[in-house]
Amino acid sequence: VGRDQTVISSGINAEYGELGEREMAKNVNSTQFRTVDVDAYDEEAYEDEARVQDDSGVAEVTERASKVKDLLSQMKTKEALVEALKSPPVGRDQTVKSQNYDTVMWVLKSFKGSDIDAAVADLSMVEVDILMKYLYKGFSCSPDKAANLLLWHEKVVAKGGLGSIVRVMVDRKGV
Amino acid sequence: VLSSCWKRKQWYQRRVRGTKETELQKHIERVKCVDWAPNTNRISTCAGDRNAYVWNLNAETGVWEPSLVLLRIERAATYIRWSPAEDRFAVGSGARLLSVCFYDNEHDWWVSKHIKKPIRSTILCVDWHPSNHILAIGSCDFKCRIFSAALKETNDKPEISGWMPKLSKFSALLAEYETQGWVHSVKFSPSGDRLAWAAHDASINIVHMDSKDSVIRSLTPSLPLLSIIWASEGSVVCAGHDNYPSLYNINGDTLSAGTRLDVKEKKAGGGMSAMARFQQLDRTGADTKDSTLGTTHQNAIVELRVTATGGDGTCTQFSSVGMDGKMVLWNLDALASSIADLKI
Repeated sequence: VGRDQTVISSGINAEYGELGEREMAKNVNSTQFRTVDVDAYDEEAYEDEARVQDDSGVAEVTERASKVKDLLSQMKTKEALVEALKSPPVGRDQTVKSQNYDTVMWVLKSFKGSDIDAAVADLSMVEVDILMKYLYKGFSCSPDKAANLLLWHEKVVAKGGLGSIVRVMVDRKGV
Repeated sequence: VLSSCWKRKQWYQRRVRGTKETELQKHIERVKCVDWAPNTNRISTCAGDRNAYVWNLNAETGVWEPSLVLLRIERAATYIRWSPAEDRFAVGSGARLLSVCFYDNEHDWWVSKHIKKPIRSTILCVDWHPSNHILAIGSCDFKCRIFSAALKETNDKPEISGWMPKLSKFSALLAEYETQGWVHSVKFSPSGDRLAWAAHDASINIVHMDSKDSVIRSLTPSLPLLSIIWASEGSVVCAGHDNYPSLYNINGDTLSAGTRLDVKEKKAGGGMSAMARFQQLDRTGADTKDSTLGTTHQNAIVELRVTATGGDGTCTQFSSVGMDGKMVLWNLDALASSIADLKI
């Protein structure tokens, strides 16, 4: 639409425009304004920096999977757990994240119930937080494994307290 | 004399023994924060009505008279603190800016200057450095920041210090730290060399001005902490959603595990007769009547304040105010002797 439309006005409020006739020039050039992204100009809009792409931890995922496999075959479950919880991928690449998730789940499955206490006791608070994040991911993605995960959850809360659960909730990147 | 702030339209002033002394009514929205300047005897309050008032005690009539502060903010004011010299105060607000207010003698009112960049969300807490020229703020954009607050209008002569290695003008950002949660409370240590802040990811973070890049971070097993104060140069007391205050010591690069300061003796079970217990069991399904929590505060502790300091500047007494409406005074020296292994 790029032309002027002229509208014949009737009756009382006839304006005498440039055309010099009893018409009103109505400018209906462009409806481009409807396509403007108003939110982009909003000064108050908050951009969460956590949404920025984070590539940390991506490279080591496959290598870690094989390392963990080796450790588990040698029955070194504690070391396998520590290895599996190192620098998890927190970016937006879902395939890498689910690969790491599978590694962690596999390790958790290989533990005997009685060994869990000893393994958790040796973890640092950062590792406890990462383990808790995977546990919660497990609750949502693999409800079939819930029984085992709940057993782990109990032991991890005993070590990390409610604070570790809060840190899972507050984490904006997610494993 | 302590003051307590109520989440209503007015707020109350109390004497130490707990009797209400006066009601100060002026705000038309919830009073969000109160601060008392002990040396100049002025009270400042800020509220959701986007205003702050400075109250001066009229010596003859004994009445507190408010004077309006022009904050020029479009959202509620959330936090207010007098500076150590008490010639200015800082007000944090939901308008994502900090107002530093000082007295303009010419016009006889309080004027404010804003610090806006790069704050991206509501400011939750503010603290002044002992030098009167540096402020730290914690906000909802998950960051703790330090700014220079040296004002030309009041002829400030800031000095170079660990936090401000070269002279910076008003609103210059001196340092910025990130956490995973909202920063609920931020405090400079008594000497001003260290800064501690508590965030909603249940962590306590401490940084020293000489090593600004290495933050001592303690991931606590407790629920998020809402308030943090320094008991001495090397230890902090914090409290929050767990309803009890705890003490943490700084050991070199790490923070020790927190010692709980709220130790209550469990009442011996001989309170009820056997008949009463069975009746209770029949009526409610539980054989004890006690539904109170095992802590002094029955709900989250919202604010801690140092009320008395000893000779060397360490805190000997602090008060805590909670969502349960209680104000509790804690004697640190008495606690130090009764709780084993408590080092301040």
